[in-house]
Amino acid sequence: MAEPRRLTDVELEGALRDLGPRYPYPPTPNLAAAVRRRIVARPVVPVRRLALWRDPRRLALAAAAVLVLAGAAVLINPTTRNAIAHFFHVPGVIVSRVSPLPSLSPVTPLDLGRRTTMADAQSTVSFPIAVPSSLGTPDGVYVDSGLPGGQVALAYMPRPGIPLVQQTGLGVLITEFRGDLIPGFLAKEVGPSTTLEETSVNGNPAWWIAGAPHVLVTRIGDMDYPVSLRMAANTLIWEHGGVTYRIESGLSKADAIQVAAGLP
Amino acid sequence: MEGRPLDDLALVERARTGDVNAYEALVQQYQQLAYRVAYQVTRDAADAEDAAQEAFVNAYYALGRFRAGAPFKPWLCRIVANEARNRRMAAHRRTALAERAHQAQASGEAAPSPEAAAEAGEFRAALVETLGRLREDDRLILSYRLFFDFSEADMAEALMVPKGTVKSRLSRALGRLRAALPADFQLPSGGAASG
Repeated sequence: MAEPRRLTDVELEGALRDLGPRYPYPPTPNLAAAVRRRIVARPVVPVRRLALWRDPRRLALAAAAVLVLAGAAVLINPTTRNAIAHFFHVPGVIVSRVSPLPSLSPVTPLDLGRRTTMADAQSTVSFPIAVPSSLGTPDGVYVDSGLPGGQVALAYMPRPGIPLVQQTGLGVLITEFRGDLIPGFLAKEVGPSTTLEETSVNGNPAWWIAGAPHVLVTRIGDMDYPVSLRMAANTLIWEHGGVTYRIESGLSKADAIQVAAGLP
Repeated sequence: MEGRPLDDLALVERARTGDVNAYEALVQQYQQLAYRVAYQVTRDAADAEDAAQEAFVNAYYALGRFRAGAPFKPWLCRIVANEARNRRMAAHRRTALAERAHQAQASGEAAPSPEAAAEAGEFRAALVETLGRLREDDRLILSYRLFFDFSEADMAEALMVPKGTVKSRLSRALGRLRAALPADFQLPSGGAASG
């Protein structure tokens, strides 16, 4: 037997090319039928281009539209996604007003990550998880470690005083993530029948998005496709200490703010 | 089978207007590639299937922001790899038992002699095992180039890296593969192509 020697790049490439057709993949399943079933169940045309931030002028226009709606008379010249995010005082979030709103099924997967325990979630994310004192222990804890800093979701089932939200199948859904690390992670598209209102939570600027369901798009970096995309119900969103909090529920604005204020 | 780029463009354009049949044709053309890309990331058959299916569904709803005239294949693979990463992270503690079982069952093709077949089989098994220990980024770039025969432009698009860096990334991935191979690893008699 010859002395072992290091393979050259060419030999290694040749070996891999040879392996390619013989690689022990499991048999390819037939995906077409399942994919067809799923897209037919959501009979919509694909959504329009959302990437406003690629064009600063359009971004400024979108920002201006939201500004007018919010009744804020502030002169800005945003040129980056970050600028928008900071303008809204909610890092990690971009809100844009669109008409007509893309048509999506009212109920789509929530993509919250994996279900886990509070202790495991806390060891996964890089910020202290806040649990609202008024709601108590969540019925479900989900963590997504695929984002910078991680994301935790606290799910509460409907109960007296907490109505069922059709879009989530839950009573209250709270998500927490490092908005300071992921500019533009959440993009919200709101149609003409959704109201946007600036408010505050414990002194931190917040946004109340209510009325008709809006489109929630999550994305990371400059990927030109959404990580997930679904319809969302009334949402209160704010930031504190680098963490962006989001409460989606059927609660009134006052009740949502009360829940939010109970987050440590 | 993969489609020709021009066919893809026509199908993508039709799918963008909501033509489900056109999109189904794209799925049929690319499902094997998508599944295999996902499998290279997840190393798990069920996760790869879920990821590929989810990627096709998400890609459909994202067609509106797909750059007109751009190649569909690398864009799809980017979505597939991302979906697969999400699942791999959720299942990172799972072992690659299924793959090992599969390797054990992998049939040997016609070979010049039992000795050569055994040698070539052992060689490939070692290569597969070593690839499995590489970083997912390295496995993906090696797969795109050497298993799926992507052009450099398509690799850059699929990996979301500048085109000018593809060669050096590939070279570094090859270097890490070489370093991870067993010390006594060598080409089987008659070269890697035999077997």
